Parts: sequence; C-alpha cells; structure tokens
Amino acid sequence: MSRYLGMRILKGFITFLISVTLTFFIIRFMPSNPVDLLLDPKMGPEVQMAMMEKYGLDKSIGEQYYIFITNLFKGDMGTSFKTGQPVLEVLMEKLPWTLLLLFVVVIFTLIIGVPIGTYAARKRGKTADKMINFIVMIGISVFVPFLAFAFLFLFSYIWKILPTGGAYTPPPKKGFDFIIDVIRHAVLPALTLFTANVASTVMYTRNSMVDVLGEDYIRTAYSKGVKENKVIIIHALKNAMIPTITVTGLTIGAMVGGAVMTETIFSWPGVGRLIYDSVSALDYPVLQGAFIVLALSVIVMNIITDVMVAWLDPRIKLGG
Amino acid sequence: MYNNRTFRQIFFKNPMGMVGLSGVIIIVILGILAPQIAEYPKGYGGSILSGPSAEFIMGTDNLGLNVFAEIVWGARTSLYVSFIAVFVAMVIGIPVGLLTGYKKGKIGALLDSIIDIFLTLPVLPLMIVISAIVGASIINVAVVIGIFSWPSLARVTRNATLKISEMQYIEAAKCLNLPASRIVFKHILINAAGPVLVNLTLIMATAVLSESGLSFLGLGDPTTWSWGTILKKAWDASAVIDTPNPWWWWFYPSISIVLYVVSFNLLGTGINETLNPKSR
Repeated sequence: MSRYLGMRILKGFITFLISVTLTFFIIRFMPSNPVDLLLDPKMGPEVQMAMMEKYGLDKSIGEQYYIFITNLFKGDMGTSFKTGQPVLEVLMEKLPWTLLLLFVVVIFTLIIGVPIGTYAARKRGKTADKMINFIVMIGISVFVPFLAFAFLFLFSYIWKILPTGGAYTPPPKKGFDFIIDVIRHAVLPALTLFTANVASTVMYTRNSMVDVLGEDYIRTAYSKGVKENKVIIIHALKNAMIPTITVTGLTIGAMVGGAVMTETIFSWPGVGRLIYDSVSALDYPVLQGAFIVLALSVIVMNIITDVMVAWLDPRIKLGG
Repeated sequence: MYNNRTFRQIFFKNPMGMVGLSGVIIIVILGILAPQIAEYPKGYGGSILSGPSAEFIMGTDNLGLNVFAEIVWGARTSLYVSFIAVFVAMVIGIPVGLLTGYKKGKIGALLDSIIDIFLTLPVLPLMIVISAIVGASIINVAVVIGIFSWPSLARVTRNATLKISEMQYIEAAKCLNLPASRIVFKHILINAAGPVLVNLTLIMATAVLSESGLSFLGLGDPTTWSWGTILKKAWDASAVIDTPNPWWWWFYPSISIVLYVVSFNLLGTGINETLNPKSR
C-alpha cells in the first residue's frame, strides 16, 4: 500500500507541476499580457522600470519561469494588485470555506446518490428506473445559477426561512451559536451544489451496479439462497462502488467550477467568490493563485479517492 | 455499426433521441431566424419590468427590453459558441485521440497522461483566468471553451481507435502497406464515428453551460445577447429576491439553458442507444 501511495503522490505532484507550468505559459503567451495591464502609460518611465523589475519582466521568459516556480514552492505567489496583501495570505483565509462546502457536498452526494442509484439498478427497466433516469438527465443538464436562483427564490423570498448570502451574520457570534449560524448560511449553497452533482453519482452507481448484478458470482450468491438485500449490500455494492468513487474523484474538478458560481451567488467567502471579485478588479496574481490552489485541492482529493479505490480493489495496488 | 438506413430506422423509434432531435431543430430554427422572429433588443423600451403579456410573452427587463427577443438572440449566440467550440475540440481532440490509440508506446502513453491531467483540472476557473486576460469577445470565449473541450473527445476517440485497430481489416490494410494516415483517417475514424458523434453532442451541451457560466460571471461579450448575460443583468439588479419579483426575467433564460442542454444530451443518448443496444 505504501508503495502505491508513494507512486500516486508522485503522479499528483507531476500533475500539479504540469498544470502550474501550463498556466504560466498560457498566460505569458496571451496577446494582451496581464502584467502589461499593470503598467499605466501615465506612470513615469522610472516607475515603469521599477514595476518591471519588481515583477521580473525585464528578464527572459526562462528566468521568469524559474523565479515563478521557486517562489511558488516557497509559498510566495506574489502580492494582490488590489490590496497589496500576499496572495497566499488571501487564499488561506478563503480556502477553508470552500473546502468545507465541497466536503459536505461530496459526503451528501455519496450518502444519498449511491442508494438511489442502487435502487434504480435493482428496478432496471421498470417505471421507477425510467423516472430516475429522466430526472438524472435533467439533473446533469441543469445550469448551477438556475438551481441557486430557484432555491433562493423559494427559501429566502417566498418562505423567508434562510438567509440570502454570506457565511454568517456579522458580527460573528460566539461558540455554538456561531456554528448554528454558519450551518443556516451553508444550507442553500450546499443544497445547490449537491443537487447539481448528485445526478451523475446516481447515474454511475446505477450503471456499474447493473454491470455487477449481471456477474456470475452474484448469480452464485442468489442460488446459494442468500437474501436479496444481503447480495446487494455485501456482494455487489462494494464492487459497484469502485467506478462510482473513481468518477466522484473525476467530477471534483467540475464541482469546483460549480462552486465558483454558487459562492458568487451566495456571497460565500471562499476561493470561488474570490475568483469572481478578482476578475472584476483585474487582480491577476490573486486569480492565478486561486486557480493554483483549486488545482491543488482537486489533485489532493483525487489522490484520496484513488487510495479509497485501491483499498476497495486490491488488484489496483498490485498493478500500481 | 449499422448501415445508414438501419441506423435511421432504429433511431427514429427511440423516444429520447426524437425528443432531443426536435428540441435541437427548434433551437436551430430560432437561432437562424432570430432577425425574422424578434427585433434585436437595444436601447430602452416603454414599459419597465412588466410581466408576461400578449405583447411581451416573457415580460420585459429593467430597461423595458423584451425578454423573449433577448432569448431568441441568445439562442443564436449559444449555437454560434457551441459550434465553434465543437470545431476547435475536433481539430485538437480527434487527431490526438487517433494518435494515442493507434501509436501505442511512449508517445501514446505521454499524450494519454496529458489527457488525464486535462480531464482532472478545474476547467471553469482556468477558463475564467484565460478569458479575463484575453478579453471578452464572443469568438474568444468560444475558442477558449473549445480548447478545454478536446480532452474528453480525445479520450473517446482513443478508446474507439484502440478497439478498432485490433480488428482484422486494419491488419489487412497494414499488410497492403497503406500509409498510416490513410488507415487512420479512412478506415479507423469512419468506424469510430458513432462514439465520436455522441461526444460531440455532449460538447455542444457543455459548451453552452460554460458560455453561460462565463457570461454570468461577467466574462462574456457585453455587446452580444446570451442567456448567461441576461441572467447576469437580472442578478446584478437582484431580480431573484426583489419585491415584487420579476421572476420572468431570471426564469426564462435559465429554462432556455436547461432545454438546450437537455435536447443535445437526449440526442446523444438516442444515438448512443441506437449504436449500443446493450446500454438501453
């Protein structure tokens, strides 16, 4: 297991390095270089030179890349154009909120999506299965802001039972009251992201369950007289979970995209909202830093899901 | 793979595929005939935020513009963006997929892990970063979406190619000493057309989701009507929680996006079920 884990972390590290390199070069080869935007023509030539030096623009692209990577590993992602704060500091304030949201959503997606998918597979071809398929088809097609609007409209406008945005009511309360307050604020963003993602979990669980239920060892279990629930839970579910968890890992990247829109709408103080705010402020170092942090979170979550899959399926460890 | 006639016979009996196809046809008609259906919404209108009526079937926005007209012109933008995105994705994804599937070995493995990396990246934030820099124009947005849509297409093309290149007629073609480019494009690609086509319908759908997302976040083209732009304007005017609520302003564009995406997804499902009876 430790060898597999080591290999997986190495692969994750290479993925991270490649995605960081990619953003660096994509951004540098853009027709309108973001750092050019910094240089206001009204500035005097000395100020412009000083700015060029500060951001390393007078050096060759290779040197710039070297400085960028070494600084990145020292935790230095530059300073925000808007506030002058170090980018890392800004991100560390916001990241816990995004991770909290994603974590809650992933857990609920699995807890609720897997049983529904299993149920659909057992009723394959029947009305219940067709209805679930139809809802799933709409679910995977839905536009995240639409869900957010619909929930906001129902819960905050019509029923007036949940707050419209933010993560807590300022000034922050103390102790247990604070937790209750945050939960009340988290319900709508979490519900939005959950609804947007549960459909694909249901779909993949159903499809892999249908495959697994056709296997010989399931027929053997039935013919031994094992009860249906036991066959499903003990024999089938563990194997059916393998593709589901893999896919959950793969969809985290897409989920992060949905989180940007969700956080924007609900003013959730996470990295997604930060991206929205930095776009309007053209705060390019924060934008790049936010992307790097999100990419890193996705890679780490992928490693976690891969390790879970390896734990469920011992063949993977041997092969890896 | 069926011949075309059998394909049509089976496809036209597939309810999901037919619903999807009808939706797609309606959207295409709306998009092409937009100038004939509704006047391009610009400037200011007479009645502000008036609800759906005989004159404005989807109401008006806070400038008094006809929401129905905005949606019809938005359909045109959606089609434009998704066709360009599909084109860009095809230009990159299909050759990469064919290459990784046909040429196994080091280059194939390397390209395959690059596809892997692209598939796991949080694509929307990356598109946001790039769109923020290249600037908001509809063609930029479309190309950026296309550039990030190729990995799934490459993966699908690769899987199909791997399967097909094991077949005997490919071996026969190799024995005839046909050039690799001819084998790949003429003999493999044609037979991989099914799964590739299904993936293209999915790209059409996700491209519109991405475009709407970017426009909603303020990275779209401010001079063009798109469904995401309408939603952004409604959101900026806090239309969702305003009293009295101009629900038509945010509801109709949202529903348009859902119908567009569902139509293309259903079309893809229909094609897929026709090609693989097992998946039904």
